[in-house]
Amino acid sequence: MSRTFEIDLDHSEGALLRVLGTVERRGFELLELSADKPDAETYSVRLRVDSERDPDVLCRQLQRLVDVRAVRLLAEPIEEPLPRFQATWL
Amino acid sequence: MDGSREQSTMVRTGAQWLLQALEAEGCDLLFGYPGGAIMPVYDALVDSPIKHILVRHEQGAALAADGYARASGKVGVCLATSGPGATNLLTGIANAFLDSVPMVAITGQVQTMVMGTDAFQEVDVFGMSLPVVKHSYIVRRAEDVYATVREAFAIARSGRPGPVLIDLPKDVANASAQARLPRWRSVAARTGEPEAMMRARGLIARAQRPLLYVGGGVGMANAEAALRSLMRSTGLPAVYTLKGLGAVDPDAPFNLGMLGMHGNPAANHAVQECDLLIVAGARFDDRATGKLDTFAPKARVLHLDIDVAEIGKLRSADVGLSGKLSEQLPYLAQPLNIAPWQQHCRELKSRHAERYDAPGDGVFAPALLRQLSEAGGNRLIVASDVGQHQMWVAQHWRVPRAAAHLSSGGLGTMGFGLPAAIGAQLAKPDACVVCVSGDGSIMMNIQELATLKRYGIPVKIVLLDNSCLGMVRQWQELFFAERYSEVDLSDNPDFAELARAFGIPAFTVERRDQVPAAIERLLGDAGPLFCHVKIDPRANVWPLVPPGKSNAQMMGCAA
Repeated sequence: MSRTFEIDLDHSEGALLRVLGTVERRGFELLELSADKPDAETYSVRLRVDSERDPDVLCRQLQRLVDVRAVRLLAEPIEEPLPRFQATWL
Repeated sequence: MDGSREQSTMVRTGAQWLLQALEAEGCDLLFGYPGGAIMPVYDALVDSPIKHILVRHEQGAALAADGYARASGKVGVCLATSGPGATNLLTGIANAFLDSVPMVAITGQVQTMVMGTDAFQEVDVFGMSLPVVKHSYIVRRAEDVYATVREAFAIARSGRPGPVLIDLPKDVANASAQARLPRWRSVAARTGEPEAMMRARGLIARAQRPLLYVGGGVGMANAEAALRSLMRSTGLPAVYTLKGLGAVDPDAPFNLGMLGMHGNPAANHAVQECDLLIVAGARFDDRATGKLDTFAPKARVLHLDIDVAEIGKLRSADVGLSGKLSEQLPYLAQPLNIAPWQQHCRELKSRHAERYDAPGDGVFAPALLRQLSEAGGNRLIVASDVGQHQMWVAQHWRVPRAAAHLSSGGLGTMGFGLPAAIGAQLAKPDACVVCVSGDGSIMMNIQELATLKRYGIPVKIVLLDNSCLGMVRQWQELFFAERYSEVDLSDNPDFAELARAFGIPAFTVERRDQVPAAIERLLGDAGPLFCHVKIDPRANVWPLVPPGKSNAQMMGCAA
């Protein structure tokens, strides 16, 4: 099932490579990619990915990248709800 | 000296700023090997108080830095030149990444103006290392060197630790500049959310068969005392991973041993039967879980980890808490009424106690390791290589604390043992560091015997020599219909002679009755020593969960 991420990241060397590498290595297929550079220090990236794997886990794997400032996993209509992770984060 | 205002007005070369930043981070030791692109740094080293350990292969530098970091809890630092120097570091960097070891790896790079032109000894180590670093930098301006190194240390040691690579082009190392000050990222410490903590306590209160599953995160978070206190006050039984070894008190009544592929059957049975798994600093690695969907089938899961991305990665958690284990574990303490479960665990432990009464006169490796670790006591640190001997160490070595057991868990790097032992011994000069290796593994970094000799590092090497690649041979015997393929090492060199050629005193043990004297010598000699132990080539590691099977399906043990 495809899901869309919006990612804000520092405009630092390798930042985009790190994000794309993480997406593919963690078992997600990249379907669409657009990137914007709203100012000198920031990239804004929008990705649509597909996988059997849990997008929430990928979301947290992207969030822990040092260059990444924010990750938003966009809500999309879900035909068959996945079993959702119920944990609460501290 | 810190990044003071005075310093920021001084002009130094990039190489000098690099060493200045290392000093500011308290780095007094680095492991490396010089070469063309890193020469400005080696030139600056001549005037630096930082001690450099010259290894004989860059992989040895990275693995020694890893061992230094594991034994000391500090950031390990390694240094190499561009091209092959950098690629030789990669295995060690990956090793640190998979075991979450804090490391800063510094590589020389060709001059910025020729980067991207396939210049001599140019390789894109930044690109090659992306999947195996926590973070990485190419420093393009001399003014950024100081701040980059400081930031790299902060990243390497914060949160879930890991390796950070700094690629330093030669012209940047040579250029002079004032230093910009580091931009400290505010890493907000997560604070406890009372509601989730209450739910965690509630899970434990309601459980009838709760079990702690302890990973390497406990030792790295300095939460060993908190864990032991929790176990004492609650009587919670515990199992641990290869990297969790030593975090649980080896003498605790409900220490059920290591779980997983070569785990103790008591540990694996307890996991299969528990109704609550309290996962502390562990990540459901496949060597621990066996077939994942059969792992702890009756259990709810309370997952505690500093890295929020680990929670729910392989097994969803009923409650997941990301934060400091040293603060969370004490909060979980409460009176428990689990006497029947404790009695069952006591019986499991008794039924599956290790036995050392092997027949014959040959050396029985598990007994040797047990006796050596008991005789050496708390001053021992063991650095294991990878293979059958690594599992025997995990099963039989008495490990008093997590930092006293160094093992390549995630990457499984043959050749880890000797350089890691060197790093550990330099980090802990008063410890007795023992490298337990095999005849396959030792040859992967045998050149570091020269490092032992050069610096008089008193590492004791116990080489368990079965004249074959024992773990692969065991799998071929059991799972490939005894079709032995490229595992025979019976033409090994005479290892004792080889050690002597490096200037390391050595002796060989072939019979069981020689073991007591060997242990006495290993624990008594002041300098480096090489003990070559010949063991039965047919010996296997038992028990064993076959690959892809449930941990309930162990071979080679009583039901």
